[in-house]
Parts: sequence; structure tokens; C-alpha cells
Amino acid sequence: MIRQGWISLAAWIVFGLLIEGLIGFRSPALLDDSVRREMFRLAHAHGTLLNLVLIAAAICARLDLVRLGRATSLGLRAAVTLLPIGFLCAGIWHFKDDPGVAILLVPIGALLLLATAFQIGYSAFRQ
Amino acid sequence: MLQWFNVAKLFSPALTTLAATLFALTLVAAVIHVTAPDYAEVRAGRADAGYLESNNCRKCHEGNYATWHATFHRTMTQEVNPQSVLGDFDRDNTITYQGVRTDMVRENGSYWMKFTGVDGKKQQLEIGRTIGSRRIQQYLTKNGDQWVRLPIAYDLVQRRWMHLNGSFFYPDGTDYKRHVSEWNSNCVFCHNVKAQPHLDWTDKSWNTEVAELGIACGACHGPAGEHAQLALSPATRYRWHFHDPKAPSLAVTNPARLNSDRSAMVCGHCHGQRLPEPRDRIHQMMSDGDPYDAGKNLLEFYRPVQREDKIGSYSFASRFWQDGSPRLTAYEYQGMMRSKCFRAGTPGARITCISCHEMHGGDPRGQLTEKMKTNAACTQCHQQFTTPAQLVEHTKHSAESSGSLCYNCHMPSVVYGIMSAHRTHDITIPRPDETVRFDKPNACNQCHLDWSVNRAIAASQRLWPNAFVDSKVVGDNRFDEPEGQRALFAGDAVMRALTAAAMTPANDVNAPLLLEAMQDRYPIVRYFAANALAAQHPAMPKPDYLGTTEKRNTALREWYPLFMPERLRAAKEARERLSAGRVEADVEVGE
Repeated sequence: MIRQGWISLAAWIVFGLLIEGLIGFRSPALLDDSVRREMFRLAHAHGTLLNLVLIAAAICARLDLVRLGRATSLGLRAAVTLLPIGFLCAGIWHFKDDPGVAILLVPIGALLLLATAFQIGYSAFRQ
Repeated sequence: MLQWFNVAKLFSPALTTLAATLFALTLVAAVIHVTAPDYAEVRAGRADAGYLESNNCRKCHEGNYATWHATFHRTMTQEVNPQSVLGDFDRDNTITYQGVRTDMVRENGSYWMKFTGVDGKKQQLEIGRTIGSRRIQQYLTKNGDQWVRLPIAYDLVQRRWMHLNGSFFYPDGTDYKRHVSEWNSNCVFCHNVKAQPHLDWTDKSWNTEVAELGIACGACHGPAGEHAQLALSPATRYRWHFHDPKAPSLAVTNPARLNSDRSAMVCGHCHGQRLPEPRDRIHQMMSDGDPYDAGKNLLEFYRPVQREDKIGSYSFASRFWQDGSPRLTAYEYQGMMRSKCFRAGTPGARITCISCHEMHGGDPRGQLTEKMKTNAACTQCHQQFTTPAQLVEHTKHSAESSGSLCYNCHMPSVVYGIMSAHRTHDITIPRPDETVRFDKPNACNQCHLDWSVNRAIAASQRLWPNAFVDSKVVGDNRFDEPEGQRALFAGDAVMRALTAAAMTPANDVNAPLLLEAMQDRYPIVRYFAANALAAQHPAMPKPDYLGTTEKRNTALREWYPLFMPERLRAAKEARERLSAGRVEADVEVGE
């Protein structure tokens, strides 16, 4: 988990740099496309923050502050991957005024994230 | 709290997690449901039921909203505010016409026109709304429940105040209040979305409403309440995304998905002056409102005005050339329907407005993309004229010349509207003999102003012998005169104004003629003549087309030394000779 967290965090930071570059150099591929801009912004925000959450969860588990079962661990890892990837892909290919179909990954990721958050919270109280 | 978690310990972790997740989802769904807008019931029970304001459309159609926002359609009718008012209320803010002085004044955020009559009597009227934002801006004041168009407008092109008598085809001396008119029964229909005059026929009171001021989404897309309601669901939206894009729209009108004839009707509703059908529908229109919604069959409610139409003794004939082709703007629909491009096409799958015009992109001045300003508009169908060699063979002009731009010959500027010459939408083969037969400007002489009509006829017979086999040089020696000169003095006011416009910018040959045209009794002719002269000599004092004869002649005296005396004498002789016995036809411009 901790390895995935740091590597993914680095990847989403690189993506953030890419967004900054596209904005800085006034790239029409981003600036003239409001749906893509919104989706990329969400992908970057979710990618970085959720991987910080993943790292934090891994540290908490190592310190025995919470107990992460196999299912919870897998769910959390899937959620922090699906959410930003969903936003990213929905921004790369999208409909005129709506995100692309990859946006379907987002509610799946959100559900997993919600369930794992409850699960970890619950286990924290049981510790 | 502790108690709650003790209770939670009674259940398995998986069950607790599932319950908590479902509870959270229910909460989210409840909030979404409670805050969901009700578009389906918008304006329910009214004539404009289901019509949404453009800011609602923006929520999903940001790009289309932005392109519409850049158009002059949006700003056709606006409430008065510092952004909407384009006239100069601060510096050059006075006009005197027919002895009536008008001061345009801004006071504490309000805008006023203050009139001082010839007798010194004063009247001040507060401006409440503006109409137009491209060529001229007109102003409305509220008189009780009635909105009234004021007689003074601002010319946005020439950056000056003007009297509306200067924009219509009436001679000097026309009643000062001739064009003070009622908005509620006139302008409201085409300059807004879904007009409802709400005239109470018993006490003649108005309670006029519109779905939205200006020409907004609803004007072309009709009522979209049901569409917006359905689109609230992402599942519906994604189903629509995979729907056949050519199939009929989904609970909303999209002119691009209508058959071509219905699509043209959407524009023709306003760009095709019309009469109610049957005529007594006018009562329902004034009471309830405009019965037409975009996408419906326009001809069920209206009939486009044609040259032979009359209301009582009032004839619409002067709004058309003698062959029935419109000579005013807002008749583009009739023009296009006369075209072979339309008549020869398959009904429902032929030329329509959006074959060339783009409502969500391109230059807002004409709603044309840069591509459609070129021959590409015509070569969409007429692909046999695509290469330079094919073009030259067809036009007999060099490929780069203005004579090889399709528009110039097939859609010449023989239409007047709002202080400008416009291209006709009656797309035709240029025929110089039409000037003889219909007293109508022809495309050849619009450029070759120094040629006579007979010379143009002879040249067309020589260059295109098969097309002009029945065209004959005429014996009437007026058509041996340079057509620019003949039309400028012998034509009726529309012909004269359009000829002066065609002479812009003036040159040393036609400038003396234009100086004579400044003696015309019709201010609109002088307007174009003054602009043509000023375009040639911008540093010279521009004669005021609305000023008194004395004032104008004083300005003109400075111009005469610029030109050869014999040319000036010839121009004067030509005016006196050609204008003698000229038949005038004043034109009611119903915009």
C-alpha cells in the first residue's frame, strides 16, 4: 500500500505539472475545453489527496492504529486508483457537454472509498 | 456515543459498513432530490410554458451559451444599464432635427432624452430598454403599460445620434413622430423569445410579457423544460449521447436535426416578414401571444409577405423589386425560397439557412464562419467550380478578382436594412436586363458602375452566349448612360441609396455624382452618399445627411474644389436631367 501510495502520488504530481504547463503555455487542448479542464482538475486533486490518504492509512496500519483487512485494503487501493483515473479518462475522451463514459469509474471508486472509510473508522473504534 | 458503538459491536463489521454506506447514499440522494429544479413545470399554464431562460441552458451547454452570448441576437433587447447603453450620453450627446433639440443625459444611473420643441416646450422621457447593438441602437420609454420607441437613435457605425426619419425611405419634412411606435404590438414579436402582448381588447391595456428579452435559446430551440427535466438524470443524458445524432431531437428543437424546410422556418419566423394565417389570428396573437414555437410548421400560423399582398388598401409592393424579389432585410426567407437552390432541391433536404450560417460560431456580424465567407459556401454543392481554372472559366474574371467571388454575382447587395446595403438571399444568375425589366439593380453594374446597362447586356451575351440567348440590348437611351449615374438619379429612393452604397468608397469619377446626390430629398440616400465621400476623403468635413440644407451646402462648398469643374457641371446636369419626372415610392420598412 505504501509503495502504491508514493508511486501514484508521484505520478499525479507529474500530472499536476502537466496541467500547469498546459495552462502556462495557453494550450487550447485544455483551455478551450471546459469539460476536459474540469475533469483534469478533479483527476489531479483526487489523485494526489487520495494517495496521501492511502499512505496515511498504510502508516496507521503499521502503527497498529487501525486494522486493515484484505478486503478493506484492496477496496481502498482500488478506490484511490479508480476515482482519479475515471476523471482523467472522462476528460481525455468526452461528449460535448458531458464527461466521457469513463466517468462511470468515479461512482464505483467513490462507493468503495466510502465503504472502506466506514470500515476503517469502525475498526479504529474496535481497536 | 459510547452506547451507540456498543450497539454497533452487536453487528458484524461487514453489515455495519454496508448499513452505514447505504445510509450515506440515501442521505446524498435525498439532498439531490430536494434541491433538484423543476424545469417541467416552468411557466406552466402560460403561452410560454416550458420556455427556459438561457442561464438554465448554460448549465449543460456552456460552449453553446458562450457562442450565443457573443452574438448580436442576445443584445437585441436589453434593460437599460451601463453595459447595454451604447449611445454617447456624455460628450457628443445632442442632436437638433427639424428644429427639435434633444439632449441625451445620464443622471444618477438613469438615462434620459430631453426634448426642446421649436416652440420651446420641453419634455423629458426616461429610457427603460434598448433595442439593437450592431448598427443602430434604439431606445424605449415606458408610458403606463406601454413601451414606446423614441424617435432618436444612436448610429453605432458612424458614432453619432440620428433621427429615425434618417433610416427609412421617406423624404425630408416627414412628421417628426412618424416612427414613434408601440413596442408591445410590433418589435416584441421578433426581438424577444415567445412574445405575449397580452392586450386586453376591452380597455386596450397591455400586460406584455416575454419568455426572455432578446433573441435567446428559446427562439431557435423552443420550449426546453421537458428536455432539461429529463437531462437532470445522468442515465438519460448518457443514453442520449449514444442516440443517433441525426435523429429528431430529444424533447427540444435542434434546427440542425430538423428537415431543411422546417429548419429554415425557425429563422424565417423572424427573417421573413409574415402575415397571420388566417388574418384574424392577429386578435389571438395580441391577446395570448405568438403561437409559433421553433420546430413547428410556420405556415400553419403565418404566410410570408409577398409583393402582391395587401392589408385593406395598404400594399406591400414597395418592399419588393418589381420581379417580387425582396429589397429589404427581414425578408431573407422569401428571398431564399425564390432561389433555384431552394426550388430545385428536394423538399426537406435542400438548402437552408444553416447550410451557410453558423449560429454557434463564426463572425457574429452575419453569423458566418471565415470559410463560409468564401466560395466554399457555394462549392458545397457546386463542386464543378472548385479549382481556379474552373472558376475562371465560369466567371470570366481572374480567380482573385471580386468578380470571382460567388456572392458578388449571385447574391449582390441589392437589399436595404438598418443603414446598410445587404446581400440578397434570392440567389440568382446575374442578369443586367433585369434592370430594364424590373427597375432593379443588377450584379454586373453594381461593380461596373461606369458601364451602361446596355454595355453589360452586350458583355454578358459575348461572355456567356448560351445563358443570355434571350437577353437583348434595349433602345431606351437612358440605358446607354453609365448605370451608376442613371440609378443614382433616376431610380427610386431604394435604388438610389443602394447605388450610393455601391459607390463606397468614392473615386474621382463618381464623387461629383455623390456630391449631387447630397441634394437628394431622401436623407437615407444622402447618408450613403456622405459615407462614400468621407471614405474617399476622411480628412474633409463630412456633410451631415440630417442637417439643414443650408448647413449641408456650407460643408459641400469645401468639397467642390477637390474635383474638376467640368465633372461637377456634368454631374449637376445629369442629376437635373435624370431626376426629372422620377416616380418616388416611399417604403415602409417593417423591421
